[in-house]
Amino acid sequence: MREDRGKVLVIPCSGIGKVHGLLSRESAYLVTDELAPDETDVVCLALLVREDEETLAKVRVNPCITIDGCGKACAQKNVEIAGGQVASAVQVAKILTKHRDSQPGTGSELTEEGWAISREIAEAVAEEASRVSAGQEVA
Amino acid sequence: MNYVVLACTGLDKPEGSVAREVAILLAEEAGAAIVCPVVLNRTPARYKKALAEDRLIVVDGCATRCASKLAAAAQAKPVQKVLISGVVKAAGRALDPELRLGADALELARKIADDIKATGAAASKEALGAGQAPAEAEFESPSDFTVVVHEKYEFRIPLSGYFFNANDVWVQVAGTRARVGISDYMQQRLTDITYVDPPEIGTTVEQFGEVGTVESTKANFEVVSPVSGTVVRINEAVDDAPESINEDPYGAWIAELELSAWEEDRALLVDGRTYAADVERKAAED
Repeated sequence: MREDRGKVLVIPCSGIGKVHGLLSRESAYLVTDELAPDETDVVCLALLVREDEETLAKVRVNPCITIDGCGKACAQKNVEIAGGQVASAVQVAKILTKHRDSQPGTGSELTEEGWAISREIAEAVAEEASRVSAGQEVA
Repeated sequence: MNYVVLACTGLDKPEGSVAREVAILLAEEAGAAIVCPVVLNRTPARYKKALAEDRLIVVDGCATRCASKLAAAAQAKPVQKVLISGVVKAAGRALDPELRLGADALELARKIADDIKATGAAASKEALGAGQAPAEAEFESPSDFTVVVHEKYEFRIPLSGYFFNANDVWVQVAGTRARVGISDYMQQRLTDITYVDPPEIGTTVEQFGEVGTVESTKANFEVVSPVSGTVVRINEAVDDAPESINEDPYGAWIAELELSAWEEDRALLVDGRTYAADVERKAAED
């Protein structure tokens, strides 16, 4: 079935106003713009929940990696509701527990520490995307 | 009364990034509470109180208008809507395709946020309500129609009280106020109307400028204003039930304007009888 697949879809949380959401978004951009632009594409979660037909079709055909800000896991849940396959789900809040003393920034701006965490998340997602893209078993 | 802002989270278009930046500026500088569109879609109860009590500003990135549609689905009534792609177009600008905003786009977001604060601060739901408007009775329902028959279609056109432009938009005038809507002919051409995006209250509109858009299962239609003036009221009933335009095109007005140049505008409009002849010709050409 791999011939039916296109890029791995990276779907960040839509969170606005909290650093978790910003980390989610910036990590996604790092993956799709810099780390794995040929293997990945970003999908707008708001379009998905609005049941945009083109977005639904993409999500149902391509493997997805979701990056959620918090435990609500809006991105993961909405991809699943839409009938998409979540190959891997990342939660920024869990990752931040490993950086308890850091100051990643605010909902509008990341600090240097925030950018470093964003890159850490992005590198993990890009690695996962490469595995998924190559058709390897998802961890 | 406080603000709440529901913005497109646009992850894949720069217009969306601007919308998001506007929301953040409003949160940081005007104390607006941010409504997450995805959470609103999943658990609307979470925002029920804020949407009922506070002034809602909706900021859409592109013409897909996810934020507006999610607000409508939650039966929330915005006091102000902004469409970033429309602002960009009106300003004759183009956004850099980069999703991370550059200096120009950030400046644009800043200007839009400042405009919202300036215009929105003066408005409250009460001020935008019936208190400012003339009584309903001043806009009388049409009673005398002519009907243009073309094949299996019948197009009704009021013979008095309504004027039309060449874009199939009508205007009904009462004193210094005017209501605009789309004709029976146009609503039938559009078929099932699914969404109405009214103009922002406070917007100054020139004759033949845009005074909202109407979306149907078949096409998007720009409502070309037959008159110039300032938008003072929008028809929330049409916002809630766009199909009412199909059911009652001459009652389901879209926007109400305070006229600024009616006599001059009138010279470029036609009455119902002349419009009927135009419809007959248009229908034959379709």
